[in-house]
Amino acid sequence: MIRPALVALLLALPAVQVSAQDFSAGSEAKSWNLYAEKPARFEAKVVDVLCELTGDCPADCGGGARQLGLVRAADGVLVFPTKNNEPAFSGAVVELLPFCGAEVEVDGLLIEDPDIGATNVYQVQLIRKPGETDWVKANRWTKVWAETHPDAAGPGPWFRRDPRVNAKIAETGYFGLGLEKDREILKELYP
Amino acid sequence: MRRTLTVLATLALATPLHAAEGERIRVTGELIDTWCYFSGVMGGTDAVVGTAHHTCALWCSAGGIPVGLRAEDGTVYMVLKIEGSAESAGGDTQLNLASHVIEADGIAYARDGLNYLVVEKVVTDQGITNENHLDYGNVPEFSVPEEAR
Repeated sequence: MIRPALVALLLALPAVQVSAQDFSAGSEAKSWNLYAEKPARFEAKVVDVLCELTGDCPADCGGGARQLGLVRAADGVLVFPTKNNEPAFSGAVVELLPFCGAEVEVDGLLIEDPDIGATNVYQVQLIRKPGETDWVKANRWTKVWAETHPDAAGPGPWFRRDPRVNAKIAETGYFGLGLEKDREILKELYP
Repeated sequence: MRRTLTVLATLALATPLHAAEGERIRVTGELIDTWCYFSGVMGGTDAVVGTAHHTCALWCSAGGIPVGLRAEDGTVYMVLKIEGSAESAGGDTQLNLASHVIEADGIAYARDGLNYLVVEKVVTDQGITNENHLDYGNVPEFSVPEEAR
């Protein structure tokens, strides 16, 4: 009588070790040669992280303004996708927003470096609905940025043309300490 | 056996699978770009903060990469909201505070090894105080375009 109950209770305990599972089986994620990367393909539900933690839940996951997370189906762990698949200083929200509230399968790189507090941090490369054969590449960000910044069209990468970034640099310089200090620093670094 | 069962039952009830109990904290730290910090893509953690990494922090914040608050003890909190602005993916509030050291009063959450912070009030904004550019230059080097050097 007691033994089945004990087993049931043990199963109900938080699966602390489960988060250390290996999710690399079947992954086609490309390496970024990062120190702590591990390929990881898994199924998950796309959630609004603020909603998941606090119960503050707009219907549309924040419409792209909020960070999105992945609650992994295998263990309920909240994985935080902080990066998409473009080498362009771009996050993962634009890629995951079309799947708000949906179950997905993702492939990418898990970053596990507990010495600096990095665990369950994820770079998403591919997304698809479970059972679908075709993947969606997580590289839409730059295209969406261009569509929403038609006045910033031109040569060079987006981050050189972004109006808000350029306004900040024009105001406080590349090092953020003000334009006069910026000139001094540049003279020191590039005499 | 019965005692073991009781202890396990207590543990099971006291620790829900998705615990996210908030705790009010007041914490001082620098607002950082979490991708470069956690991934090591541009070097060690001391190089991807402060003045050395300021332009890249602007790029990443504008690009929707989550901003974190690195506390003085090294704990990193993923910042989900600042003073009523939940625009944690590319919002103006976070962009304007890139690389700043702030004292924040808010609610901290912990889940699955990561720490999160809802900043209810920026108590003080010390501006950019981590002047590490002489140690690391500008990281990455192309963050200052050649024509500006």
